[in-house]
Amino acid sequence: MAHQSNYKNNARPYLLSSPALLFYVGLFMIPLIMTFMLSFYSFDINRGGILPGFSLANYAEVLADSYFHRIFIRTFLLSILVTFFCVLLGTPEAYILHRMSSRWKSLCMLAILGPLLVSVVVRTLGWAILIGSDGIINRTLLAIGLIDAPVKLMFTMTGLVIALVHVLIPFMVLSVWASLQKLDSMVESAGQSLGATPFIVLRRIVIPQIMPGVLSGSLIVFALTASAFATPSILGGRRLKVVATTAYDEYLGTLNWPLGAAIAVLLLIANVIIITGYNKFIEYKYAQAFK
Amino acid sequence: MSFLRLEGLSKCFGNFVAVNDVNLDVEKGEFVSLLGPSGCGKTTTLQMIGGFVTPTEGKIFINGQDITGVRPNKRNLGIVFQSYALFHHMTIHDNVAFGLEMRNIEKVERDARVHETLSLVHLEDFAHRFPRELSGGQQQRVALARALVIRPEVLLLDEPLSALDAKIREDMRIELRAIQRTVGTTTILVTHDQSEAMAMSDRIAVMNNGELVQVDRPHTAYEYPGDSFVTEFLGKSNMFAGIVKDVSDGITAVDVAGVTVLARSKQFEVEAAVNVSIRPEKIKFTGQSKGLVEGAINARIFLGNQWVFQLDTPMGEFVVVSQNTGHEEAEEGHKAGLDWSAQDMRILPRETD
Repeated sequence: MAHQSNYKNNARPYLLSSPALLFYVGLFMIPLIMTFMLSFYSFDINRGGILPGFSLANYAEVLADSYFHRIFIRTFLLSILVTFFCVLLGTPEAYILHRMSSRWKSLCMLAILGPLLVSVVVRTLGWAILIGSDGIINRTLLAIGLIDAPVKLMFTMTGLVIALVHVLIPFMVLSVWASLQKLDSMVESAGQSLGATPFIVLRRIVIPQIMPGVLSGSLIVFALTASAFATPSILGGRRLKVVATTAYDEYLGTLNWPLGAAIAVLLLIANVIIITGYNKFIEYKYAQAFK
Repeated sequence: MSFLRLEGLSKCFGNFVAVNDVNLDVEKGEFVSLLGPSGCGKTTTLQMIGGFVTPTEGKIFINGQDITGVRPNKRNLGIVFQSYALFHHMTIHDNVAFGLEMRNIEKVERDARVHETLSLVHLEDFAHRFPRELSGGQQQRVALARALVIRPEVLLLDEPLSALDAKIREDMRIELRAIQRTVGTTTILVTHDQSEAMAMSDRIAVMNNGELVQVDRPHTAYEYPGDSFVTEFLGKSNMFAGIVKDVSDGITAVDVAGVTVLARSKQFEVEAAVNVSIRPEKIKFTGQSKGLVEGAINARIFLGNQWVFQLDTPMGEFVVVSQNTGHEEAEEGHKAGLDWSAQDMRILPRETD
């Protein structure tokens, strides 16, 4: 009897998680493995398109061609810039939010999280309307005489960074917010009682203690920017290709699926290396003080 | 003028009066406890001294100087917070050194003073650990060291022991008191624990509903509470409502539900509504129908060092505490007479609606 119930208890977690597990394996692992295998195939339009086999030619092509180098560097630069601005804007935003009275807090939280309820495509199209050369921003600036000619924001890095920061900043705010929640509200008073000005308290006591939140938030933002597709494809288009849009074009434009797969795999590998490396760094740096 | 003076200190939050006209004088080196139930205004008072809450009215003086409008970082006070509020990203050494660093004290002297203060709280071997790696009691001592190292004018302790286990709490009481005596810093302790306040302080300031009710030495406050609130808040008491029947020769006779109770007092007039009160440990058992009042024991609890009895009497329910002298005491269900000295009976004013 006891044996039977023991057996049941052992099997139960697996049984309960099996639907999610099947879902995960079927819809994530299998396509990923197939993409990986596809990246070793070759492509010849004259011989009927995709040819099964095993060659590293696709990887060699991407790694050797400066055209692809530029795209990878651009993606990396874009991710760094977006992460930087998300930290710069999101951290104070979270702190101010944290200090608000509870009524305003929930209202402002709604304002920050609200955009997450709207599809990225819709939000990006909204930005396209705003920043286009005949868009609201340019027309307003022209009308009040601040500029003589429209500022070029569409299909530029600036426009792309602005839109992506807007899309991704909630993740930053939420991450910093979570670490602020863990911060003892009395530490600021303690710092002041020891003779520190509010500014020093912020710099020496608050910021170091919310650093893990800032770092993990920037990790999320970096990863999401590096693999962002909708925003770069609408605001950057063909003129400002990133890795994700390039892979898309290889698949659907030139129909060279193996090359597209190789690009996607390389992006995945680069992302995993950067993220795990960064994570190791955070763990190493804060292992003693936090856990 | 006394070292720390609170003069007509009040704080209102909207219509709610948190602290109402508190006047308190604390001598240099004295240890005073602000004692009261939660919401009595004791923490608000402490925060006003600390500078984190601005008083609606009144002034705070330290060493003759009005510090009411001075910012918290300029007050030179050592504060130990309930949650300790340690800086978790810094080592113990850096936590303690922080206040000295803010005062631009040279590294050599800083390190010497940090070491000295950590020795005072027996944590000199933990200087390079992080707060997370220490026990609650040790973290508490770090917070104390951090507050003391800056040689503050006044040390403020906000429920410093409430987060500790009962056993460590009792040890820390003794240690905290000893440290305070050694360094001689004027100290204000905020607590809701009456035994903590009595064990540690030179004087107790009892607060209720935002007002200071009584300020006295612990023994005086316990033996001669000024009103019913203090009586019930400081230790246990048997309290009964009665009417004064006779006053003569400094002895007042009070009628409690038909039983006449005598007490030494002459401040009440005949027919005044009063409460009479006596501490459980001041009552003795006598044989049946010999005592001042007789009752049936309906509960008996053994606490190791003492027995606690609950009795039903014509006056009402009595609690009696007697030392465990080694042999079994009266049993549940038995009847017993209760006796006490008129000296130990207190008469207090009773508010009638």
